[in-house]
Amino acid sequence: MLDALQQHMPFLLAGLWMTVQVTLLGICFGTLFGTLVGIARALGPRPAFWILGAYIHLWRGTPFLCQIYIVYFVLPQTGIAWLQFDSFQASVVALTIYSSSYIAEIVRAAINAVPRGQVEGARSVGMTSGQTLRYVIAPQALRMVLPPLGGVYVIMVKVTAVLSVIGTTELVRQANLVIQRDPANIMPIFLVVAGLYFVFCYPMLLLTQWAERRYGGLHLEA
Amino acid sequence: MSEPATKSPGDTSAESRDIIRVENVHKVFRGAKDHRIVALAGVSEVVARGEVLVLLGQSGSGKSTLLRSLNGLEAVDSGRIVVDGRDVTDRKTDLNALREEVGMVFQNFNLFKHKTALENITLPLEVVRRTSRQEARERAERMLARVGLADWAGSYPSQLSGGQQQRVAIARSLAMEPKVMLFDEVTSALDPETVGGVLRLMEELAGEGMTMVVVTHEIGFAKRAAHRIAFMDQGQVVERGDPQGFFAAPQSERAQQFLEQIL
Repeated sequence: MLDALQQHMPFLLAGLWMTVQVTLLGICFGTLFGTLVGIARALGPRPAFWILGAYIHLWRGTPFLCQIYIVYFVLPQTGIAWLQFDSFQASVVALTIYSSSYIAEIVRAAINAVPRGQVEGARSVGMTSGQTLRYVIAPQALRMVLPPLGGVYVIMVKVTAVLSVIGTTELVRQANLVIQRDPANIMPIFLVVAGLYFVFCYPMLLLTQWAERRYGGLHLEA
Repeated sequence: MSEPATKSPGDTSAESRDIIRVENVHKVFRGAKDHRIVALAGVSEVVARGEVLVLLGQSGSGKSTLLRSLNGLEAVDSGRIVVDGRDVTDRKTDLNALREEVGMVFQNFNLFKHKTALENITLPLEVVRRTSRQEARERAERMLARVGLADWAGSYPSQLSGGQQQRVAIARSLAMEPKVMLFDEVTSALDPETVGGVLRLMEELAGEGMTMVVVTHEIGFAKRAAHRIAFMDQGQVVERGDPQGFFAAPQSERAQQFLEQIL
């Protein structure tokens, strides 16, 4: 059994590497995009609030599996050149959209949770709205964003398992391929797969906790 | 006594003697379901350079709204407000430039919670005034010493008492070297034992010739420091006068009622 696992390991690690790439790209773009949407929803004009709200709720209210199918199978049928994705690109796009829809709401809620007096204090000494955002709102919102953001990141790692349905050679897809050749070892193989996910997720949770201690909580009470 | 000191001798035009002119200003707050609150109903007022004007009145009489409209924190519906030659009510006016000149101190301090006392003062200097880090730091330290908090430079607002926070807030405004200071019920949220220090600081400022507009319920302060009282009711100034006259013999019925209630 151990021999067999040793033989399978390179395939599984290749799958893990794909999972890591897709996840990191997805959450990087998703965080960037989600933050912009969240800021626009919190501080922008009313129409932006409604339009971006519709966008967010559309993605939050539909299954990720369904979204992957749309990105990979439906969008290319529009015939628009830059909507023709290979499975890797489709995976990153779907993850970006999915994570941004959650991150946008986290960012919006954090900005709204910064007391209005903080903004008035900044404006009353002559800061522009941009300076107020950068020096007063953002640093305070950041502290509130970190814990839920860490949660979303870990969920994103795990949701990549679904990407196997469009042929992305990520961890679960690789495991399935291995099992087709070696069905007898299904249990140890999936134990290893679960272990590999955990090895990726757990440091992210630790990182979040560290960031919380570093930037979070302190001095914001009262 | 009631005649405020004129800061610019030789130039006696009304424009330069008066640093604040408020002309027939209206403001209505609109809530849900046609709910309307008339905050300002055609108020006019003038503040001379170096003058300390105290705004009195019941809560809801419009005094805080008037104060907040002076630096454009509250936009008014109609009328004209000119502060130091800048038309606050003109959309084209750079309100940020105006606010550098007009300090404001709030009931709830509004110190930046994620910054120390010192950083609360240096941040606007560096960001708005483009003061060098070194100079901002030195000025902030002088300001903290001025308000008696030199030893608290590294403390966060949550580690300071209300009175200390308010003194930091005053120091933050003073560091910008404003031409006018606006005070919005700055002692209302304080524990009684810390009120005195804040009021003494304000009286010192008044004594140094700072132009101040003060919304307060502290009658003792108004008697000692005000050059002039404006009493507001239902969005208008219904009575104005020097403190002795006002407190000894208020003319309007509303002012008489108000003083009976609080004295």
